[in-house]
Amino acid sequence: MEQKRRWKPWFYCLPALLLILTVIVFPIAYTGWISLTNMNLYHWTDYEVIGFGNYARALFKFDSGFLSALATTLVWTALNMVIQIGLGFLIALGLNAPGLRLKRVYKTLLMVPWAVPAYISILLWRVGMFNTEFGILNKLLSVLGFAKVDFLAGNGIAFLSCMALNLWMALPFMISTIDGALQSVDGSLYESATLDGAGFWRRTWSITVPAIRPIIAPAAVMTTFITFKQFDIIYLLTQQRGYMTGATLNTVITYAHQNAFASNNYGLSSAVSMLLFVIIILFSILTNRSLRED
Amino acid sequence: MKKLTALLLAAALCFAALAGCSQPTSQGSDAPSSKPTQGANPTEVLKDPVTVTVWHDGDEGIMQTITDQVNAQLADDQITVVFEKKTDTPNQLKLYGSDAANAPDMYFYAHDVLGTFVAMDILAPLSDVVDSSILADHLAMTVEAGQIGGTQYLLPVYFETLVFLYNKALWEGDIPGTTEELYDYMAAHTDAAAGTYAVVNQHTNAYNVSPFINGFGGYVIDENGKPGLNDPKTIEAATYNQKFGALQADGDYNTVTTLFNEGKAAAIIGGPWLVSGIEAAGIDYGIASLSDIKLPNGNGLAPFSGIQGAGVLKVALAEKKDAIAKVLTAMAAPEVGVDLANKSGCAPANNKSYDDPQVAGNEMIAVIQKTASTARPMPNIPEMNAMWGPAEAMLTAINKNGADPAQAADEAQAAAEQAIADMK
Repeated sequence: MEQKRRWKPWFYCLPALLLILTVIVFPIAYTGWISLTNMNLYHWTDYEVIGFGNYARALFKFDSGFLSALATTLVWTALNMVIQIGLGFLIALGLNAPGLRLKRVYKTLLMVPWAVPAYISILLWRVGMFNTEFGILNKLLSVLGFAKVDFLAGNGIAFLSCMALNLWMALPFMISTIDGALQSVDGSLYESATLDGAGFWRRTWSITVPAIRPIIAPAAVMTTFITFKQFDIIYLLTQQRGYMTGATLNTVITYAHQNAFASNNYGLSSAVSMLLFVIIILFSILTNRSLRED
Repeated sequence: MKKLTALLLAAALCFAALAGCSQPTSQGSDAPSSKPTQGANPTEVLKDPVTVTVWHDGDEGIMQTITDQVNAQLADDQITVVFEKKTDTPNQLKLYGSDAANAPDMYFYAHDVLGTFVAMDILAPLSDVVDSSILADHLAMTVEAGQIGGTQYLLPVYFETLVFLYNKALWEGDIPGTTEELYDYMAAHTDAAAGTYAVVNQHTNAYNVSPFINGFGGYVIDENGKPGLNDPKTIEAATYNQKFGALQADGDYNTVTTLFNEGKAAAIIGGPWLVSGIEAAGIDYGIASLSDIKLPNGNGLAPFSGIQGAGVLKVALAEKKDAIAKVLTAMAAPEVGVDLANKSGCAPANNKSYDDPQVAGNEMIAVIQKTASTARPMPNIPEMNAMWGPAEAMLTAINKNGADPAQAADEAQAAAEQAIADMK
């Protein structure tokens, strides 16, 4: 009976465990296995285990170019997160302003960028927004009498353009999370504070921020990871074959892709992927620890 | 009762999660059966219908033309060809090419990826399937492009190259005979601020800059797999092309084709694949051969040519070898080339197709044929696959960021050499 009771929960969890095993654990383990083989164009089906040779080669990919990409990634992550949380908070506060009409309409409209598939959004921005001939921004500049600007050509301007798109795509999630958190703050606290003479910013800083922090922290951590391992925005806006813009901006993931994935050497690229996986896990441990301390 | 329901649901979920792992049954398979058809005369063995699947990533209209022609020829043999569009066919074949359950029987694609597939050992030499006499009437250039190490892997069906397409309503005067005259015309007729251009080109794409690179005697990669991005001739070509790039808007495909189709560019360097869009835009266009436009060294512009054709997957031979042989023979027939030329403006690989008066009188095909005299088939060795990225990075740096050509070439050469070294 005791034995049965011990196994029953595992049986109930089995479908979920199988799913996790198939979708998450298996691909990682399989990548780990491939990284130990010589699977490449010339050994597509007849590959064999060669030990850690690919890791020795992969470490050379983590050169000065990689360090520069890592620095870019850290700046990219920090700036995006600060702006996302700050701007998201201000917009959410605005949406909760007493007396604001059509709140639901604004909230729904703000969700649109989130609902559009990322690939579509990126292509729309590349052509509709940043394109030198047909983009809205250059049309506006022309109307105002300014020269055309290639928003994706230089590293600095491409970084800002990519960041603008990332914020456009990511802000709705942050706004909806903060908006939800704001609903949970006890209104009587604000009334007491007002009676005590606290102004809007004082109430926000002393009541709202501490009250919503535990709620938005997991969302912030999750978004930090997504921002850190950002690939599609930078790749599709500046590096896609046939659409290279001249910017040499790289995050760790685009750098690894550029240096290890173009050669059809699956053993080597799997080793690079596993090393990146370790870096991201370390980053996650550090972030989680700081969250717990908080 | 609740516990029982929960247990049953958990078991059902586990079963459903693993259901996809089952082996396919023979039901629904295209494999021919050896069973005689019921009710048939026992002395007469009826042929079972066979479907030959071909993956492609090209124009649906072109594939339909081939399908109609081949199926009409093979109707009596009960063989049906089905073209299935697979976006990014090369990568799809990397995933499924050696998997008998999921691989197609054949593929249809340009010849430059041939070396990659041969290195992967997923293709069967054509000589394993069909007699080489089916290529007897094909243009030598197209036949050679389908070979790796002297072995024929690709049946060439049609070929394409870059041409000079111009809007007759916008272009003033004759098409210049030299690149210098062309540049003067561009300088006089381009107003980038107003968004109007004389000539547009994908000036950051190695394929589209190949007329200059090959014309100067440079190369992207040689037959031994050595990249030539920092070859002095390649650098000379890239340097010379820089001033043209400055007058050709952003070099991406969508921008340049839209500019031409909207009448904001008087000419475009492109291929026959642009024609359907140009005709849909209602533009009265003319075509000129790039080989008629001479570089300062006296050579005509010499673009890459791409040979489109069919290859056979090894895994398909066990069950469909005879059917595939008949499909290849039908595809090689001059009638396929005639139809492709008349319906889609493709230049046939079979020389006999040009005996047809309509084909011989087709302006686009005449220009492509003429350009073929200076065109160079794209390299088809496996290393070519690793070259497009570094070559584009080099041209982007030079044409968009004003980088020093020699320095950009050295950086791109190093990246290309590293990418090739990483292949093994």
